[in-house]
Amino acid sequence: MTPIEALERARRSSAVWIGVGLLLMAAVYVRALVFTPVEAVQGPAQKIFYIHVPSAWVAFLAFGILGVTSAVYLFLKDPRLDLFAASTAEVGMVFTTAVLVTGPIWGKPIWGTWWTWDARLTLTLFLWFIVLAYLVLRTAIHDPAQRARYSAVLGILGALLVPFIYVSVYLFRTMHPMPVVLRPGGPSLPGAMLATLLFSFAVFTLFFVALLWHRYALARLADVRARADAERADA
Amino acid sequence: MPDNGGFTVAAYIAAVVIYLCYAIYLVRGGRAKG
Repeated sequence: MTPIEALERARRSSAVWIGVGLLLMAAVYVRALVFTPVEAVQGPAQKIFYIHVPSAWVAFLAFGILGVTSAVYLFLKDPRLDLFAASTAEVGMVFTTAVLVTGPIWGKPIWGTWWTWDARLTLTLFLWFIVLAYLVLRTAIHDPAQRARYSAVLGILGALLVPFIYVSVYLFRTMHPMPVVLRPGGPSLPGAMLATLLFSFAVFTLFFVALLWHRYALARLADVRARADAERADA
Repeated sequence: MPDNGGFTVAAYIAAVVIYLCYAIYLVRGGRAKG
């Protein structure tokens, strides 16, 4: 099997898994909206939590991968690592956008305001702009090696924000709720709510892997074809 | 209990629109420049 055939096959397989991810996301919606109890104090708006928190988890996972891949790229200089990093940045950006859209929709009924310049919210918005800058930077530099090097440095800087955003609720006076699952002393949610949240975590992670796999296959296909075209032009 | 179900529906619709649009964009070939 040629590299192009293998990548085409990966593209088709990952497209199927994207479809599976979307179907499972529909199952998360049904479970969260119909079969999970309504929280007594916040009311139905608390259910936004079941899509907001898993989106944030995946966004942080994506930018963690972006940081590690970018750092390894600077040592190995393998162009595939650069393409993988770019893929994680783009997919992570989509999940961060969902976090920044669903958070204020919860904030309005619960806090009484769409947005506040709280540490966690501000840093997450800052991270979103860093990743936007990363993606814009990639379109502005045409030399692949230079583009990969500059992008890797920016990718590492963005990833360094992730642990800082996670602990920001402990470091600053903040309106953002404290962690309820990954926290000292174990999860503090009732069983039915915790089960829905863990199901949602699993589905969002699977959906992320499928999107990333597909995005990377597209990037590699474009790269392999561009190299083949360049070789034909030289010959 | 507060009656704020409209916000829940709005957030769920917004999230699915974001994910669905990106999934369709990607499956149709994306920008694919790396």
